[in-house]
Amino acid sequence: MADPNDPPARLAAHEIQKSFPGVLALRGVSFSVEPGEIHALLGENGAGKSTLGKVIGGVYQADAGQIELDGTPLVAMDEARAGSLGIAIVHQEGSLVPQLSIAENIFAGRQPTGRFGNIDRAEMRRRASRLLGDLGVSFDPGVLVRSLSTAQAQVVEIAKALSRDLRLLILDEPTSALTTTETARLFLLVRRLKTNGVSIIYISHRLTEIFELCDRVTVLKDGQVSGTRTLAETNEDELIRLMVGREVVFAREGAAHPGDSVLEVTDLAAPPFVRNANLTVRAGEIVCLAGLVGSGRSELCEAVFGARRHIRGSIRLKGRAVRWTGPWDAMAAGIGMVPEDRKDAGLFLDQSISANICATVLKKVSRSGLMSEAAEVELADGYIRELRIATPSCRQLVGNLSGGNQQKVLLAKWLAPKPDLLIVDEPTRGVDVGARAEIYRILRDLKSRGLALLLVSSDLPEVLTLADRIIVMADGRTVGELDGASADEETVLRLATRHTTIQPEAVAHG
Amino acid sequence: MVDALLRAPSPKAIRHRAFGPSRLIGFLANSREVTLIVLIAALSVTMTVVYPDNFATWYNFSAVMLNAAQTGILVTGMMLLMIAGMFDLSIGSTLAFSGVVAGALVSWWGLPPELGLLGGIVAGAALGALNGFIVTRIRINALIATLATMAIYRGITQLLSGTGITPIGDDFATYGQSVFLGLQTPFWVMLFIVIAGGWAVARTRFFRQYYFIGGNARAAQLSGIRVQRLTLIAFVIMGGLAGLAGVLGAARLNSAVVTAGLGIELAVITATVLGGASLRGGEGSVLGGVLGVLFIALVQNTLIINGIGVFWQNIIIGSVLLLAVSLDRFKQVHRG
Repeated sequence: MADPNDPPARLAAHEIQKSFPGVLALRGVSFSVEPGEIHALLGENGAGKSTLGKVIGGVYQADAGQIELDGTPLVAMDEARAGSLGIAIVHQEGSLVPQLSIAENIFAGRQPTGRFGNIDRAEMRRRASRLLGDLGVSFDPGVLVRSLSTAQAQVVEIAKALSRDLRLLILDEPTSALTTTETARLFLLVRRLKTNGVSIIYISHRLTEIFELCDRVTVLKDGQVSGTRTLAETNEDELIRLMVGREVVFAREGAAHPGDSVLEVTDLAAPPFVRNANLTVRAGEIVCLAGLVGSGRSELCEAVFGARRHIRGSIRLKGRAVRWTGPWDAMAAGIGMVPEDRKDAGLFLDQSISANICATVLKKVSRSGLMSEAAEVELADGYIRELRIATPSCRQLVGNLSGGNQQKVLLAKWLAPKPDLLIVDEPTRGVDVGARAEIYRILRDLKSRGLALLLVSSDLPEVLTLADRIIVMADGRTVGELDGASADEETVLRLATRHTTIQPEAVAHG
Repeated sequence: MVDALLRAPSPKAIRHRAFGPSRLIGFLANSREVTLIVLIAALSVTMTVVYPDNFATWYNFSAVMLNAAQTGILVTGMMLLMIAGMFDLSIGSTLAFSGVVAGALVSWWGLPPELGLLGGIVAGAALGALNGFIVTRIRINALIATLATMAIYRGITQLLSGTGITPIGDDFATYGQSVFLGLQTPFWVMLFIVIAGGWAVARTRFFRQYYFIGGNARAAQLSGIRVQRLTLIAFVIMGGLAGLAGVLGAARLNSAVVTAGLGIELAVITATVLGGASLRGGEGSVLGGVLGVLFIALVQNTLIINGIGVFWQNIIIGSVLLLAVSLDRFKQVHRG
């Protein structure tokens, strides 16, 4: 514990635990932030850094553990109470009401009132102007938030936080939608707050930004603190080691014997998410797209599958240049895509397993335009056996299955058309370890049968287990290629983060 | 062993067994066709016993069937739209417009009645295509889009024909008034449409795609189903069927009236939901919709025979719609 003679830390978190159904997001996290300190929270996707920020900001309630603000324990926290104590959080998603003016947003629920309890608009605008002026911007406070850019809206969020006595500001991935100049301006603002004694928790996975801005960093890994460092005394390599270094559960197996190239993507651009992508996938190999969330991997897959329009570059399938009018063309040409969001984009939850599997192959289960129930059942039962889908019957509704079995149904749905190229976006998201092993077995089996597989995965151990080649994406570009057998988490992560610098032409306004 | 596994009850069935009252309601909600047949039979038997001279007559039966003809034709199209997760409020206006087009072609321009019928149906399909275009291309929600076209189409109909076109012509009227096996033409056309439509929706590959669109439009799109195009086609079919109902109605009366089909969307949507369509889409059968039409026609007939006024009919149909939607809600909740 700290020396009792020291002044208490601005924020001290002890053994914070937080779980969501099926996930232990924080497993006893302790760290502290000093007055006037800019403290970074760093970690891979899903390491728990945003959850921790939201627990401190009162958005979530911790299951266990204690948080102290300037030595006073915080109890029964919610966002309103956190706000009145001087803790403010600026979310990735934003919390402003677009239909209201800047001034109304800044003083939401606490508008200055006149004699009769009426809102004193002139006073509200004056105070809003002053706050915005302190932040070095000169917006008209009567302007609707709707008309602001992302960066401008963020400044208004900070002004809203400053409208009370601010003690701790939590910034969650604030630069993900900002250009270089906007980022520079934000950093200036954050440093000014620091000199006024405000503590800042800066959540990011961008190493360069953290080194530029922050004093100390706490690295999270799988919901636990893997270390706290002073930035002046550490380096990127050490931080990356702290972020990864997880034990690899699954072993690599099955060398690739790649055949002819199936997919060739050259200089593909589908703005704003895909800026310049190049890749090749050959028959009988697994290529993994690695990178951070938002690096454009899923969007690149959608462009290849015809679900997203590209404006530049070419897609060649089996040597032939192709151009799709929609997913149906890509499907007819021999591409399948298992989307990332299985409930929203993949499955028909209210329909049976057989209906789901047959959705992509209605021609195969019909004779001269008429559906054949016998053919549907035969096809579905074949895949239920082959992929070991645990169900009493192919008539079972997919919504009643477990995550792993749902994922297998989704795979079956895309194996049924017998594609030459199968794209699988996050093959094992939300499935348990047993189903994960089975899905790995299925994917390797497909590879050995000569399919070309393009996977997207945010799970680095998974990428290293499955990939014959790894293509790293950052900011909508393919920035490097690694051999799957010799790559390690550090090299992948270094490529993915080092190239995540903010591009001057970044669009993403609104 | 395998057979036993295949027959294992789904968790849904088990849940209904566990709770007494909800088991009954769950059954009502889940096998809609059976429920409706039971209700229709019960109501018919009761009416036969209570009003043997008024209800159980051939004359009354053929009148009920004639009244059900228009809604029966319309419910086929509406069921298709609702399976796809859409619906159409403008059908009454489309119906009136088609009748006026057919009347104008025959009465004003002297075209043969067959061309008048065809012209009316094509006009209805064209209005349906416009609805479909607005919903799929301009991407306006079906409720608002067809609420607007309901007003627009009715207005155009009134502009074109004033109070209507009377009489249209005797050859034309033959198509609505001739009697076969004791029942009038519109009934036989309706019977053909619901059988053909019911078969097609239940059995063909083409129409199976609509269940996927209604079940999850995004997943359907990513499964290679041309969601926008098929939705447009469903609106065209709905418009064409409204056109057919319109020209038959005009032929039956030998008159194209601008108020034809006013408010008919209430009866049709009620019958469709009662027949098992879900407001979220992805469910329903034409058979269910037709049973819904029969049930509502029977309820109306019962009210008329009992001397209950037309205002009450609207109140009762509206209540049936609320009840049917509540059953749909119950079904969703109990699916877990």
